[in-house]
Amino acid sequence: MSKKVGIPKGLLYYNFYPMWKAFFEELGAEVVTSSDTCKKIIDDGVKTCVDETCLPVKTFVGHVIDLKEKGVDYIFVPRVISVERHRYLCSKFLGLPDLVRNLVSDLPPIIDMKIDFYRGDDFMKREILRVGKLFINDVSKIKDAYEKSLKMQRTFECIVREGFSNTEAIKIMEGEKLDANSKGDLKIALLAHSYDIMDDYLSMGLVNRLKNMGAYVLTTNMIERDKIEKGAGKLQKDLFWNYGRDILCSGKYFIQSKEVDGVISVSAFGCGPDSITDDLLERDYKRDGSIPYMSITIDEHTGEAGLNTRLEAFMDLLRWRKGEIMA
Amino acid sequence: MKITYPHMGSLNMILKTMFEGINVEVVEPPPVTNKTLSIGVKYSPEFVCLPYKINLGNFIEALENGADTIIMLGGIGPCRFGYYGQAQKETLIDLGYKFNMIILDPPHGRLVDFLKELSSYFPDVYWKDALKAFIFAVQKMIIADKFEKKLLILRAHENRAGVTTKIFEYYMEKIKNAKNKKELDSIYKEGLEKLRQNATTKREIQLKVALVGEIYLMLEPFSNLDICRSLNELGIEVTKTDFLSDYLINSAFKLPQRVEFKKYAHGYLERDIGGHGLNTVANTVKYAEKNYDGIIQIFPFTCTPEIVAQGIIAKVSSDKNIPVMSLSYDEKTGEAGYQTRLEAFKDLLERRRLKNIKKY
Ligand code: SF4
Ligand code: SF4
Repeated sequence: MSKKVGIPKGLLYYNFYPMWKAFFEELGAEVVTSSDTCKKIIDDGVKTCVDETCLPVKTFVGHVIDLKEKGVDYIFVPRVISVERHRYLCSKFLGLPDLVRNLVSDLPPIIDMKIDFYRGDDFMKREILRVGKLFINDVSKIKDAYEKSLKMQRTFECIVREGFSNTEAIKIMEGEKLDANSKGDLKIALLAHSYDIMDDYLSMGLVNRLKNMGAYVLTTNMIERDKIEKGAGKLQKDLFWNYGRDILCSGKYFIQSKEVDGVISVSAFGCGPDSITDDLLERDYKRDGSIPYMSITIDEHTGEAGLNTRLEAFMDLLRWRKGEIMA
Repeated sequence: MKITYPHMGSLNMILKTMFEGINVEVVEPPPVTNKTLSIGVKYSPEFVCLPYKINLGNFIEALENGADTIIMLGGIGPCRFGYYGQAQKETLIDLGYKFNMIILDPPHGRLVDFLKELSSYFPDVYWKDALKAFIFAVQKMIIADKFEKKLLILRAHENRAGVTTKIFEYYMEKIKNAKNKKELDSIYKEGLEKLRQNATTKREIQLKVALVGEIYLMLEPFSNLDICRSLNELGIEVTKTDFLSDYLINSAFKLPQRVEFKKYAHGYLERDIGGHGLNTVANTVKYAEKNYDGIIQIFPFTCTPEIVAQGIIAKVSSDKNIPVMSLSYDEKTGEAGYQTRLEAFKDLLERRRLKNIKKY
């Protein structure tokens, strides 16, 4: 009987699910995910984690608990150290499997695959074999599975670049038919970690709210690399968090290119990296003054009403600037 | 050029010694006060960690006092500290200050290369003088740290409240102004003697606590509301697990300490996660095994690596049956409720000791 691998729907699920799923399925495992984020999942996470933990990590822990309760043979909690050369993720990702193990009792075995491209991809080759051998003892099959999973990732990233959000791209890869980005006429760059905006429960459906208000939403993942690199040219010193860098440099790029009508940054309450990148972005936009910028913080207590009011006011401002509304 | 830098415990004494040794004018940042903090808070991002805010306050106060060049350490991540300087620079520019900022990334390899980089900013200085100044600064740092270690034990036994702290401060000032190694040694000897004379109180139950946590909070007493003093004055001996000398030596070289930390943390945290997260977990295990009465973790509110560590050492606490208290600090950490927590922790530790005495 095939082994069941549970993948929690939190954190980098939104960036790598198709790849991870393909890898484990190629190894002959059955992949299940936790349920969509809901009140119970968040409550479980909040109860289990120390108070000051950021909401995305609390939510992730809630998803791990959900999988434990569903009953699986393994839970996949990768230790994502680095996804590109010389850049890191934040400390919480570096210690994630340790944190989960120490916080949640009676867990099934955790697959704590190390994902580390800090010094290139040699390291990954060994790690893939280590994890693959939990399922089959066939090196060439494991390598094939990895190659296949990389291919899936490339396909996924292409779909996102076409203007689909990460969540939509995941759905498309699962066979759903979706239309590309909405027909919104106001182009808004939504600069944030994927998990802050892709989890509809956490973000209170932020992306759809914006679309319904007539926005064409560009997320950080949709932005082409060369644009990000152009923005990076404006940095005093290269930034060592890859997602933080994508956020900051996309923001810097849009100041030069002026190809969006407005910029919204979203971060989780208490997020370490975002406290720095947000400050730098806000300064840049203030100095430049030509593109409206707004930053939104989400935590367990953010209210829908307040969020809607802020979004509406922001959209009105953009429309007014375009001359669509008279003051 | 008028140089300044952020405060971090005895760092001021070391940098001042070093720069004056090479005839570079120093504008010492004024001692950290509530005013420093509130200036820092006012111009910092709300959720950035406390050291950032205090540093920024230091810079502004020093620039107001005439400094024109700021020296700051950098980093390559994954912790925020590695980008502090860049963000602070932008802030100061927006505030309209004119200054130069030198951000030194920590040495990746040999200390010599690091010193060479540093000296490239000071072209008129002789390499030999710089080395001499550096060596003397390091000697001071080592003596100052040794002296503080003694303080943290002896003050728990002081005969009259407050006297030990006064003696300590008096001799630290002397160490700061010492001109050569010989003078340094005799100040230390004399100071230690004075500390001892005033600390002869003995207790039935002598509690011992290890302080673990984020490096800045450990080194800068202002930032932790001088927790060591509070604990000492409750009669508790304190072992601080980080000193400036350890910190500088460890960030300058890849030392066996790393290996030691990994060994202790094994089973709880399997790798370095930035900041002092690994140190915190390792030291918690280490001092639990040394039969300390309790562990206190201190860190800035929202400190990423320490939050990970906090979750993990809660498990160490229950596995090794040792009380662990985690305290996070920001500008709102009030003295009142806070002191009660320290006292409650002490009571807990005492009750545990009493129970154990009855057992045997
Ligand atoms: S980057 Fe921010 S939100 Fe993401 S895990 Fe780290 S602290 Fe949490
Ligand atoms: S270790 Fe903690 S306090 Fe220091 S920079 Fe990192 S997050 Fe901030």
